[in-house]
Amino acid sequence: MYFFIQQYVPIFFLLIIAIGLSGVILGASYLLGVQKPDTEKVSVYECGFDPYEDARNVFDVRFYLVAILFIIFDLEAMFLFPWSISLGHLTSMGFWTMVDFLVELTIGFVYAWKLGALEWE
Amino acid sequence: MDFILLHQNHFKMFLPEVFLATSILILTLYATYVVSSHFLGYPIITSGFNKICLLVLSLTLLLVCNNTIPFMLTYNNTFIFDALTTYSKGLIIFFSIVCMAIFEDSLLRQKINNFEYFILLLCAVLGLMLLVSSFDLISLYLAIELQSLCLYVLAAAKKDSTFSTEAGLKYFILGSFSSGLLLFGISVIYGTVGTTNFENLSLLFAGSNEILSNLESSIIIGLVFISAAFFFKIAAAPLHMWSPDVYEGAPVSSTIFFAVIPKIAMFSVFLRLFQNVFSNFHDFFLLATVLFAMFSVTIGSFVALKQKKIKRLLAYSSISHVGYMLLAFSANSIEGTQALFFYLIIYMVTSVVLWSLLLSVNTSTNTERSKTLVDLSYLSTTNPLLAFTGLVAFFSLAGVPPLAGFYAKMTIFLTTISSSLIFASVFAILTSVISSYYYIRIIKNLYFEKRENTTFFIPVTRSCSLVMGSSSFLLIYFFINPTLLMLLAEKMALCLF
Repeated sequence: MYFFIQQYVPIFFLLIIAIGLSGVILGASYLLGVQKPDTEKVSVYECGFDPYEDARNVFDVRFYLVAILFIIFDLEAMFLFPWSISLGHLTSMGFWTMVDFLVELTIGFVYAWKLGALEWE
Repeated sequence: MDFILLHQNHFKMFLPEVFLATSILILTLYATYVVSSHFLGYPIITSGFNKICLLVLSLTLLLVCNNTIPFMLTYNNTFIFDALTTYSKGLIIFFSIVCMAIFEDSLLRQKINNFEYFILLLCAVLGLMLLVSSFDLISLYLAIELQSLCLYVLAAAKKDSTFSTEAGLKYFILGSFSSGLLLFGISVIYGTVGTTNFENLSLLFAGSNEILSNLESSIIIGLVFISAAFFFKIAAAPLHMWSPDVYEGAPVSSTIFFAVIPKIAMFSVFLRLFQNVFSNFHDFFLLATVLFAMFSVTIGSFVALKQKKIKRLLAYSSISHVGYMLLAFSANSIEGTQALFFYLIIYMVTSVVLWSLLLSVNTSTNTERSKTLVDLSYLSTTNPLLAFTGLVAFFSLAGVPPLAGFYAKMTIFLTTISSSLIFASVFAILTSVISSYYYIRIIKNLYFEKRENTTFFIPVTRSCSLVMGSSSFLLIYFFINPTLLMLLAEKMALCLF
C-alpha cells in the first residue's frame, strides 16, 4: 500500500491545486471584474446556434462531415509535431513508418476528395 | 547495422497482414476512381469488386499457410506468431471467403451498392488477424478497435433502413462502452504492475512472491473489467443484450459475418491472456466463466423458445453455444481448450450452413423483410435437398448423434466432468435438452408444416449451394472421422499451456 501512496500522492496534490487554482481564478474575476452586461455580451456565440433549444431539429449533416474530416487532418498534425522534433534520434524505421502513415492518410484524402465529401454544394 | 535488416524476419512474418493492408489501400484508390468516373458513367461495381476481394483474401490465406517459422515474437514483443495464430488466421480468412462468396447475391438484392462495404470487411479481417497475433495489451486494444469500428459500420450498411441504422447505433454505443471497460481494466493492470506486455506479465506472475500477493486485489479489479469486455464481445449472457438486436437489424450479409467470424479471434487471444499470462488467477476465472456459462446456456435456451424470427433465434442459439464454450474454458486443461476449439470450428461450419439456408429461402414476396419461421415451412416439398441440408445443420446444432455437433458437445461435457465441474455440466446438459426443442421445432416447420398457398422459391445461387453441400458433408464426415479436426484443435490448445 505504501508503494501506491508514494506513486500516486503527486497526482492527488495536483488535483487539490488544480481545484483550488480554478476556484481562485473564477472567484477573483467574479469579485474584482467590472460587470456591465448588455444584449450582445450575454447572447450566445456558439457557432451561430442556440445551445439551449430543443435538440430535435433539422441540422445539416454536412457539418458533421466537415467536422470529422477536420479531426482526421488535425490529428495528423498532432502526430507530426513530436515526430519532427525527435527525428534526429530515430532510426530509418521511424522515418519510414511516418512516411507510410502519411501515404495512407493521403489515400484517405484522395478518397474523400474524389467522392465529393469536401464540396459544400 | 541497418535497422531495416534487423527487422527483415519480422517483416516476413507480417507478410500476410502487409499484403492485405496494401491491397486494401490499392483497392480503395482503384474503386474511388472507377466509381467517381464520369467517363465510365458512375458504374456499380459490387459484383466484380466482390470477386477481387475474394482473390485478395485467397492470396492472403496462401501467404498464411506458407509460413515457415513455427514460433516468433516480433516488433518489441508486441506480436506473436505460433501454431495457434497461424491456424486461427487461416480459419478466419477461410470463413471470410465463404461468407463473402455466399452473400454477394443478397447484397445485390438489398441494393447495398457501396464498394466501401467490401473495404470495411477486409479491414475487419485485417483487424481480426492482428488481434489473434497481438501479444501486448496495447496492440490487443488497437486490434479490437480496428475490427469493431469496421463492424459497427457494416451493421449500419443499409443506410435507408431504420432497422439497420438502429442496429449500427446500438452496436456502436454498447461496443464502445465495452471497449472503455477493456481500456480501464488495462490501465488498472498497468498502474499496478507497470507493464502491458504479455511476456513480462507472465514472467511477473510466474513465481509466488511477496509483492504480488499485496497487489492481488487490484489486479483482480483489472481482470474483472477486461473479462467483462471479453464476455461482452463474445455476447455471453448477461452481457448479451446487444446481440439479438444487432443480428436482427443489420443486413443479413453483415449478420453472417458477425455470427461466424469474430468469435474465434476473441477466444484465441483472450484464452492466451487468461490461461497463459494470468494463469495464477485461475480461481477468479473459474468463478467468472462458470457463472457466465450457466447464465448463457439458460438465457440462450429459454428466451429462444419464444422467438419467431430466424435471425433472432440464431442469435439466442449462438448465446447458448458461447455458454458451452465458456464451460470448456472453465475446465482449464489442455483437453478443455482442445474441446473448445473443436466446438468452435464445428459451430462455424454449422452456422455457415444455417446462414446460407436463410439466404436461400427467398420467394418473390419476402426478399425485403426479416425471415420468420413460417418462411421455412413447405420447404421439404418444394426443395427437398435444401430441407435435408437444414435438417442436418439443425440436428448438428442440437447435438444429435450421427453428426459432428454431437462429438463437439460430448467432448466438452467429458472434459468438464473430468475437471470436477459436475453441477455445471449436468446443468448445461439439461438446458441443452431444452434448447433442442426449438431446433426440432424448426425441423417440424421444414418437414411437417402445411402451407395454405403454394409458393415457389427463387433458385439457390451456385455459391450458396456449393457451400451448403460441402459444409453439410463435412458435418457428417467429422462424425465418422474427427481426427483431423481434433489434431488441429489440440495443436491450437497446446500453444496455451
